[in-house]
Amino acid sequence: MGSPSQASLLLQKQLKDLCKHPVDGFSAGLVDESNLFEWSVTIIGPPDTLYDGGFFNAIMTFPQNYPNSPPTVRFTSEVWHPNVYTDGKVCISILHPPGDDPNGYELASERWTPVHTVESIVLSIISMLSSPNDESPANVEAAKEWRERREEFKKKVGRCVRKSQEVM
Amino acid sequence: MDSEDDMHDANDVESVDDGFYSGETAMDSDDGDAADYDFIDNDSDDSDDPISHRSQQNYTILNEDDIHLRQEDNIKKISSILSISNNAAAILLRHYNWSVSKVNDEWFANEEKVRRIVGLLEEPRALPSGKELTCGICFDVYPCDSMSSAACGHPFCVTCWQGYISTAINDGPGCLMLRCPDPSCSAAIGQDMIIALASHDDREKYERYFLRSFVEDNRKTKWCPAPGCDYAVDFIVGGGTFDVNCRCSYSFCWNCTEEAHRPVDCDTVSKWIRKNSAESENMNWILANSKPCPKCKRPIEKNQGCMHITCTPPCKFEFCWLCLGAWSDHGERTGGFYACNRYDAAKKEGAYDDTEKRREMAKNSLERYTHFYERWATNQSSRQKALADLQQMQNIHLEKLSDKQCQPESQLKFITEAWLQIVECRRVLKWTYAYGYYLPAHEHAKRQLFEYLQGEAESGLERLHQCAEKELSGYLNIDGPSKDFNEFRMKLAGLTSVTRNYFENLVRALENGLSDVDAHGGTSRTGGSRGLGAGSSKSRGGSSSSRNKGTAPTARSRNIDDSGHWSCEYCTFANAKSATVCQMCQQLRS
Repeated sequence: MGSPSQASLLLQKQLKDLCKHPVDGFSAGLVDESNLFEWSVTIIGPPDTLYDGGFFNAIMTFPQNYPNSPPTVRFTSEVWHPNVYTDGKVCISILHPPGDDPNGYELASERWTPVHTVESIVLSIISMLSSPNDESPANVEAAKEWRERREEFKKKVGRCVRKSQEVM
Repeated sequence: MDSEDDMHDANDVESVDDGFYSGETAMDSDDGDAADYDFIDNDSDDSDDPISHRSQQNYTILNEDDIHLRQEDNIKKISSILSISNNAAAILLRHYNWSVSKVNDEWFANEEKVRRIVGLLEEPRALPSGKELTCGICFDVYPCDSMSSAACGHPFCVTCWQGYISTAINDGPGCLMLRCPDPSCSAAIGQDMIIALASHDDREKYERYFLRSFVEDNRKTKWCPAPGCDYAVDFIVGGGTFDVNCRCSYSFCWNCTEEAHRPVDCDTVSKWIRKNSAESENMNWILANSKPCPKCKRPIEKNQGCMHITCTPPCKFEFCWLCLGAWSDHGERTGGFYACNRYDAAKKEGAYDDTEKRREMAKNSLERYTHFYERWATNQSSRQKALADLQQMQNIHLEKLSDKQCQPESQLKFITEAWLQIVECRRVLKWTYAYGYYLPAHEHAKRQLFEYLQGEAESGLERLHQCAEKELSGYLNIDGPSKDFNEFRMKLAGLTSVTRNYFENLVRALENGLSDVDAHGGTSRTGGSRGLGAGSSKSRGGSSSSRNKGTAPTARSRNIDDSGHWSCEYCTFANAKSATVCQMCQQLRS
């Protein structure tokens, strides 16, 4: 893999698969039919979590050398979460480029590897929503609130959920 | 350098050295080896013994081939001890920073655990059976023979492998720890697989990282820090000094990789370097020479006479330099513009004392620092110049001089030797100024001794440098042989030897922390074992009693110092003459 055409072949294949066999919890498609490298994803807030009932939109942007390098994922809906930057960018370890961790501190299972697909990435994000990792927060305020003032955190998330429903 | 042979191809400086052993000059001894002659502990008379030089050599300079050889050697060693493949041995060694003993220890303590951490499977698994397999990355189906896997058997197609490996290599040295792309699998990917699948350029990069890892991750080796130098140094910690003389002619300290700085310790050097580069000196200057504008707080340097200061726009505040009060208050009430009596009054009340004192102290400290810095920096540039002169001497002048004075070049070694001595002494002298800066002011005796030794050494060096630089040029620029050339030879060689002695004293004294003048200095062990130089130079110029105390190795001074105190053999406490039992440890006086 590695050349643009192979990246697009792989993305094309995943798109077809997801259309044929949708996965519970999210829906995915292209932002613009002519560009396979930019996907629009809607993640349904996982049940029994604070995000339950929300519909969160995100843009996945794939690099030309996908799957050797990871895509970036950015929520366009407002998401108050320790691992989501205030601009919406999602920060989870499997999305870190492989070179970020030359010493191998992150476990093999946490690094980006070319095996990951749109589906496995989105499933990781859904699991991130239900269990935040406040050890290396992207949004320090949210992490502090999540740790220390859970009620306020809940309120803010609830507001995000309602906003995301209105937009729908 | 571990042997003379090693040095032959080194460079001009060193190759001249080799000749020293054969070319006898008026000089007495074996100081050909510029690398360590200053630092050999000449406290006994057997300094002619070349063995003592060898024992000082606790490092080896490695070129790229040497590094390769050692790396392969380590890999082979591990592979044969643990009965594993070279690939697995390399992965293990890389993981344990190339320490053969660490790999052995860990492996035999808990092989299973080591295998798990490093990603070495005990029993390699083959590709899943079947005619066709799906690649885990591109999900395309391929015939079995165009798939590969690491020892774990997870199948990926060759194209995907190539992309994976190439991305890893171009991301940096992390590629040395590459694992199977399957997130649930931690199987390490061996060198053979990477070499087989990587492109030509990537392979070269990978091999470069692999070699660098052997030097950089290994605690026993470091690259020579000189710019552009490709040698690495293998160092055996424990014996002797940290000074390393690389084959590129740069000398550096193994411990801190700064330029060689013996006899001054690494902490002092790093403090000094930090100080030189730090903003703190600027701050001191600002503090000493400026006052902040009372309104906008920007520092203002007063470079004209009048006390009426107007801050620059946009602040434009007008104030009095003396009292920092607004200038508008300085009308009739203060009795004239240039006589600020409010200042005197306030100063009496103590309102300005602190800032004034701080400013005064900063000014003093800056002057003190400048004193040492100037001398440090001048010796540095003096050394650079001497190095250049030495090169020129070796490349051009020696031949010319040999023609003019009708002397074989082998008879002119004393000149090179003098220059090598100058270069080395400039380096030592330079660092003694950093030492002097940090020598506590209240240690008067130490300071006195230090300044005395430094002064002796420095004036000796100045005479030598002068002679090598100025007088020599006289013999270069005349037409025929000079009658007094032999005299000159005697003089320069003599100065070289005298200067060497001075510096040996200085180095030794600093290395034992100037302990000759410790409070109970009578028992100072180093004082007693002094050889040639120390005693002579001190008795020649030394007058203060504190100096003589430590250096005259008489029976009396071993246990009883000048004031009649005796020093306890066990705890070194200085007891009154009358006491028969040590007041500190109750041991009987011996």
